[in-house]
Amino acid sequence: MCANSTRGRRAVERRSILKGLGGAGLAALAGCIGTGDAPGSGDGGGDGGGGGNSSAGGEMAKRIEAWGWDVAAKSLGITASAYEKEADATVDVKQIGRSDMKDKYKSRLLSGSGAPAVAMMESVDAAAWVATGGLRDIGGWIEEAGLRDAFVSGKWEPLTKEGKTYALPWDIGPVGTFYRNDVLEQHGVDVSNVETWDQFIEEGKKLPDGQYMLNLPSNDYDGLWRMQYRQLGGQPFTEDGKVNLDNETSVRVARNLKRIHDSGIADDKASWSSAWFSAFKSGSIAALNAGAWMEGTLRAELPGTSGKWRVMKPPAFEAGGSRATNWGGSNLVIADQVEEAAARRGWDYMKFSLGTKEMQLAMYEEYGIFPALKAAYEADQFDRKNEFFGGQRSGRLFAEIARKIEPYRFTTATPEVTKAINAHFGSMMGGTLSPEEAVAKAAKQVADRTGRELA
Amino acid sequence: MREDDRREGVWRFLTYTVLLAAVVVTLVPLYWIVVAATLPERAFLAAGSDPRLLPGGHFLENLRALQARENVDFLGSIRNSVFVAVTYTLLSLVLCSMGGFAFAKYEFRFKEPIFYAILATLILPIQLLVIPLFLLVSRIGLTNSFWAIILPWAANPLGIFLMRQNMRSIPDALLESARIDGATEFQLYYRIALPTMKSSLAALAIVLFLFQWNLFLFPLVILDTGKYTIPVAINQLVGAQRVYYDQIMVAAALSIVPIFLLFLFLQKQFVSGILAGSIKE
Repeated sequence: MCANSTRGRRAVERRSILKGLGGAGLAALAGCIGTGDAPGSGDGGGDGGGGGNSSAGGEMAKRIEAWGWDVAAKSLGITASAYEKEADATVDVKQIGRSDMKDKYKSRLLSGSGAPAVAMMESVDAAAWVATGGLRDIGGWIEEAGLRDAFVSGKWEPLTKEGKTYALPWDIGPVGTFYRNDVLEQHGVDVSNVETWDQFIEEGKKLPDGQYMLNLPSNDYDGLWRMQYRQLGGQPFTEDGKVNLDNETSVRVARNLKRIHDSGIADDKASWSSAWFSAFKSGSIAALNAGAWMEGTLRAELPGTSGKWRVMKPPAFEAGGSRATNWGGSNLVIADQVEEAAARRGWDYMKFSLGTKEMQLAMYEEYGIFPALKAAYEADQFDRKNEFFGGQRSGRLFAEIARKIEPYRFTTATPEVTKAINAHFGSMMGGTLSPEEAVAKAAKQVADRTGRELA
Repeated sequence: MREDDRREGVWRFLTYTVLLAAVVVTLVPLYWIVVAATLPERAFLAAGSDPRLLPGGHFLENLRALQARENVDFLGSIRNSVFVAVTYTLLSLVLCSMGGFAFAKYEFRFKEPIFYAILATLILPIQLLVIPLFLLVSRIGLTNSFWAIILPWAANPLGIFLMRQNMRSIPDALLESARIDGATEFQLYYRIALPTMKSSLAALAIVLFLFQWNLFLFPLVILDTGKYTIPVAINQLVGAQRVYYDQIMVAAALSIVPIFLLFLFLQKQFVSGILAGSIKE
C-alpha cells in the first residue's frame, strides 16, 4: 500500500536528491520508502539517463529495456524496431527463458531495484506479481489514452485489484477444438454439425478401438476444468477472495469430464510429451482443445500434417450454450521502481505496441500472437484462408470467440487450485470419488492450504 | 589363520561390491549424458521404449543447433563461467587460508564465538540470501557484474573451516622458531603455512571451483543475458512449450570438460591430500 500511495512523492524525492536538496522531506518519507529504490539504482535498463532531467511532466528516457520470452520476445522485437523509427528512443528487447524470467523479474520486484522499464506478464501470474507491491498502477494512463474499451472485456479482471490496473492487455488464447479432418473422415465421423458435448461424444464413439477422439491428461485436468468452467461463466474465487470451486457449475464441468473419460473416447497421454505430439502426428488422437496459439505449435512441430487440420468452436454444454472460453494470454507491465522518465517511455512503447491495430496485426501475422485489441479483428488478415486448416478462415472463427470470452479471476491461490483439481479429479476418474465429492474436496483443500474461506 | 583369510576375503568382496556399485551409480548418468549428446532428440526421447546405449553420430548437429540459438551464447557462457570460477577460486583460496591461519594460530578476543558464527552461516540456504544479497550488490552498483557473484562467497565459511582444521597440524614450535629468526607474521603464513598446505589447498580449490561452477539462482537473478554462466545459459534451453533436450545434453556434456581438466590438473595434490590424513606417525 505504502509503496503505491507514495509514488508521486517518491518521484519528487528523487529529483530533490539529484538537485542536492534532499534533507528534510526525505526524513518524513523514509518510513514509507523501505524497500524502495536506492538512489542511482535504476540500472539494468530502467533509467536510460532520463531520470535526471525529468522536472517537466512528460520527459521520456532515451533508452529502455523490455523483457520477454520465446516468440513473445521476438514479437516485441518487431514493435521495438517500428517504434524506434517513430520515436527518438531505443527499446532494448531481452529474450529470457520463461521460468527464468519469472524468477528474475519477481526477485527484482521484491528487492526494489534492477527491473526493466517494460516486462511481459502472463495473466495467470498477475495476482502473484501484483501482491509483491512492485508493479505500477497504470490505470490513469489507460484512461487517458482511452484504451479501456479497446480490449476484449474478459482481459481486465486479473489485471485489476482494488480499482487499480497493473498491466496493459496483450494477447489472448480463444479456445478452439482442433481436429484431424482426414482421420475423422476416414472413420465416417462428422463433427461439422456438432454443437454440444453430447453430440461430440456420440460422434467420438464411432471411432474404432485404439483410435481416440480426445486426450484427458492426468497432469492437466485443471487446465480442462478451467477452460470449461470459464466457458460456463464460473469464477474460481469470489470478488473478496473466497474459494468458489464447490458449486453446481463446477460440478457440471466435473461430470462432463468424467463422462468423456467413461465414454472411452479419450486417451491419457501426458500433455506436451513427445508421445502426445506423436499421437497427433499419427492421428491416433484426433482432436484437442487449446488456445489459438496452438496453431503455431502444431505448425512448427508437425509440419507434415498441414492441411489436414480443421478447427471448430468448442462444444457447448447444451444447445445454444456458450462456446467461448480462453486458454493463456499475456500483458505488459511497468515496475513501480522504474524512474519516472523511463516509465513514461515504457508506457509510450506499450501503447504503441499493444494499443495500435498495426502493431498487434504485425505480431499476429509473424508469430500468431492473437491480439486482445478488438480493433485488430476488423482486419483482412482474419478473413484470410488458412492453408494449415485446409483453407478454413480460422482467424475469423477465433475472433468471434474472442469477443465472447468471460472474465476470469486468478489469485495468488491459483497454483493451489491447479494441485487440488489434478489430485481429486484423478480420484474421480479412477472412480473413488463422485464428481460432487471431487469438487468439494478440491475446494476444501484450497481453502485449508491458503487460509481462505469457502464461498 | 585360514579363518582370518576367509573373513578377509569376505570383507574384500563386500568392499569391492559396494565400491563397484558406487562407481556405476556415479558413472552411468555421466555416460548417459555423453551418449544423449550424440543422439538426435527423437532417439533420446524414445530411450524408454528403445534404449540406445551406444553413442550416435549426431553430436556435431546438436552442437550446431545449440550454437545457432539466438538467446543462448553457449561459448560465451563457458568463457564467463571459467573466468568467474577461476577468479573466485584463487581469491577464495587466499581469503580462506588467511582466515584459517588466523583461527588456527592466533589468540584474540571472541575467537571462538566468531568462528562458530562463521560456521553457522553454512546452514543458510542460498534461496534465503538471494534478495538481501541482490539489494546489497545493487546498492554498491555491482548489478550485472561478475564481481556480484564472486565477492559474496569469497570468504567461504566451509573453506575457512577446512583450512583451520588443517593448519592446526602445523607445529607451533616451527612458527615460533621462524619468528625468532626474524620472519614477519605475513612470512609465517606465506612461507611456512601455505607450502605445507598444498594438498589441502588443492582439495579446497576443487570444492570452491565446483561450488561456483554450479551456482544457479543468484547468477540468474543478478546477471543479464550477455553475462550468463553455464547453468543459467543451459536453463534458457527450456522453452515455454518445448524443452530442447538434444541441445541441453550437448551443453551439459561440454560443461563437464573444464571440471574434468581441473581434476586432472590437481589430481596428484588432491589424492595426496586424501592420503595425508590416513597414515599416523
